Amino acid sequence: MPEGYFGQYFTIAIFIVAGVVLVLGTFALAKLLSPFQPHTEKLTTYESGIDPIGTGWSQANVRYYIFALLFVIFDVEAIFLFPWAVVFERLGTQAFVEMVIFIGILTLALLYAIKKKVLEWL
Amino acid sequence: MNLPPIDWHAIAPELVLTAAACLVLVVDLFLPDEAKWIAMPLSAAGLFGTLAAVVSLLGAERVTLAGSFEVNDFALLFKALFCVIGLIILALSLDYFRDGRYHQGEFYFLLLCALLGGVVMASARDLISIFIAIETISIPGIVMAALRKGDVRSNEGSLKFFLFSVLSSALMLYGMSLIYGVTGSTNVDEINQVLPQQHEGLVAVSVFFVVIGFAFKVSAVPFHFWAPDTYEGSPPPVAAFLASASKIGGFVGLLVLMFRAFPAVAEQWRPAFAVLAALTMTVGNLIALRQQHIIRLLAYSGVAQSGYMLVGFALIGANADTNSQAFKATVIYIVIYGLMDLGAFAAAISFARRGGTYFISDYSGLWNRSPALAGLMAAFLLSLAGVPPLAGAWAKLFVFLASIEAQVYWLAVVMGVNAVIAAWYYLAVVKRMFFDVPEVSEPIETPYLLRAAMGLAVLALVASFVYPRLVTDLADRSVLESRGADVELSSP
Repeated sequence: MPEGYFGQYFTIAIFIVAGVVLVLGTFALAKLLSPFQPHTEKLTTYESGIDPIGTGWSQANVRYYIFALLFVIFDVEAIFLFPWAVVFERLGTQAFVEMVIFIGILTLALLYAIKKKVLEWL
Repeated sequence: MNLPPIDWHAIAPELVLTAAACLVLVVDLFLPDEAKWIAMPLSAAGLFGTLAAVVSLLGAERVTLAGSFEVNDFALLFKALFCVIGLIILALSLDYFRDGRYHQGEFYFLLLCALLGGVVMASARDLISIFIAIETISIPGIVMAALRKGDVRSNEGSLKFFLFSVLSSALMLYGMSLIYGVTGSTNVDEINQVLPQQHEGLVAVSVFFVVIGFAFKVSAVPFHFWAPDTYEGSPPPVAAFLASASKIGGFVGLLVLMFRAFPAVAEQWRPAFAVLAALTMTVGNLIALRQQHIIRLLAYSGVAQSGYMLVGFALIGANADTNSQAFKATVIYIVIYGLMDLGAFAAAISFARRGGTYFISDYSGLWNRSPALAGLMAAFLLSLAGVPPLAGAWAKLFVFLASIEAQVYWLAVVMGVNAVIAAWYYLAVVKRMFFDVPEVSEPIETPYLLRAAMGLAVLALVASFVYPRLVTDLADRSVLESRGADVELSSP
C-alpha cells in the first residue's frame, strides 16, 4: 500500500472503484448467467400471485399517507417496547416512568392527528 | 441489572425545551385561529426557561448518560447561543407567520424541536448521540422549509434539502458504522485512544465519509448546491434558521469529532480540510458576486463564511498550542458568524415586510427612507465582510492568526484574497443603500419585534467586540480542547 499524505487517499480510490465494480459486476453476472425464456405469464406484472387488474398507474387515495405516517410512529414505538418488556421486571420503576413519558409524547402525535381531523374518512 | 444513573440537573436545559415543545404543540391544537400567535410567546418563554437552566449550570463539569453527554463551558456556550438564536428567530417569525396564516403552531413546535437538536449537539460526545442530534436539527428544518405549501419554490427547496440531507446522513452513518467496526466503541474519547493502532486504510475511508456527511450539512463546496435554492424557497425566518442554527449545529458536531475523536489521525484528514476550506471560501465568494437577490447573496456569503470556519480544522497538528488556538478561533468565528448572519437576515426581512422586496436593486436609497434600518443592515454586512471596527473582523483576525501560527501560510493568503473579493459584494449593497437615488421615497416603519431581534443581535455582537474575552475565555476553558489537543499524533 502506498504511504504518505496522499497515499491514504489511494485507499479511498480503491474503495470507490470496488463499489462501482461490485454493482456493475453483479448486474453483468446476472445478465450472463440467468436463462431468458419469456412467456405470457412470466411477463405479466407480479401482484402477489393474483392476476393483475387494471393498469400499473392505478392511483391510491392521498389520504392513506397520513395513515402510513401514523403507522410508522407506532411501529417505531413497538421496536422500543419489545426489548423494554423483556427486561421490564429487572429494571424497576425508573424504566417504567421513562417508558410512560416516551409513550406519552407519542400519544401527543395521536392527539394531534385527532384534533386535525385526519382520522375521519370523508 | 441497574440502569446507569442520570444526572438530571445536567440535562435540565434539554428537559425544559422538550416540555416547552410538547406544550406548544398541544396548546396550539386548542387555540382558535385568531389566537394562534400565542404559541410564539409560549415558545419564547420555553427558550428563556432553557436559558435559565443553562445559566444554572455555568461552570459545571458533568458527564452523564454513560459518558455520551457532557456539560462543560464549550457545551454551555453553544447551548446559550442556540437559545439566543432561537429567540431572535421567534421575533422574526411572529409577524410573518401571523399575517401569512401559515401553520403557526407547527412552525413554533418544529423550531423548538430543531433547537433541541442543537442544544443536545453541544453536549453530545458519542457517535450515536451526535447523529441523533444532527438529525433532530435537520428533519424539522426540512419540514419548516416546506411550510409555504402553495409555493413551488418552497416545495422545490425543501425537496432538495431533503434529498441532500438524506444522502449526507447515509454517508455519515456509513462512516460512523465503519469507525465502530474498527474501534469497537462509539464514545469519542475511547475512539481517540484506540484509533491510531488500527488499520490506516479503513480509518481513512470512514473518516472521509463522516467528513463528507458533515460537509453537506455545513454547505461546504462542492456540497453546497442545496443551500441557495432552499434558503430562497423557504419562508425567510426559516432561511435565517438554516443559515445560522442548522449550520452551527453541523460545525459543533464537526468540532467534537475532529478535535476530540480523530485528532490522532489528523495527518490523514488535514489536507482534505485545507482543500475544502480554500474551495468553499473562493467558490462561495465568486458566485456571490453575481447575486441579485438578497437571500441568495446571504446564502452564498454563508457558504463562503463556512470556508473560514473550516480553516481551523486544516490547522490541527502536532503542536498543542496551535491546536488550541485553531480550536478557539473556530469557536469564536462560529459564534460571531451566527449572530451577524442572523442580523443581516433580520434586516432583510424587516425591509421586505414593509413594502420592500428581496431584490437588491430595491435597496437603492434605503438611507433616505429608513436611516436606522439602512445603518443596521450596513453594520451587519460590513461585519460579515470583516471591516475592522466590527465583530466580524475579530473572527477573521483570530482564524488568520491561527493559520499564521500553524505556519499554513497559503491558507492565510487565500483568506486574505477572499476578504477582498467578499468586500466587493457586501460594499455594493451598502453603496446602493447610502448613495443611490431611491425610486420610492416613502419612509419604512420597522415592526417592534423585528427591531428587538436586530437589537439583540447588535447587542451580542457589540458585547463580543468590546469584550471578546467573553467568548474566548469560554472557548479557552473548554474541556474539549484540553483533552483533544494533548494527544500524541501518529507520525506520517
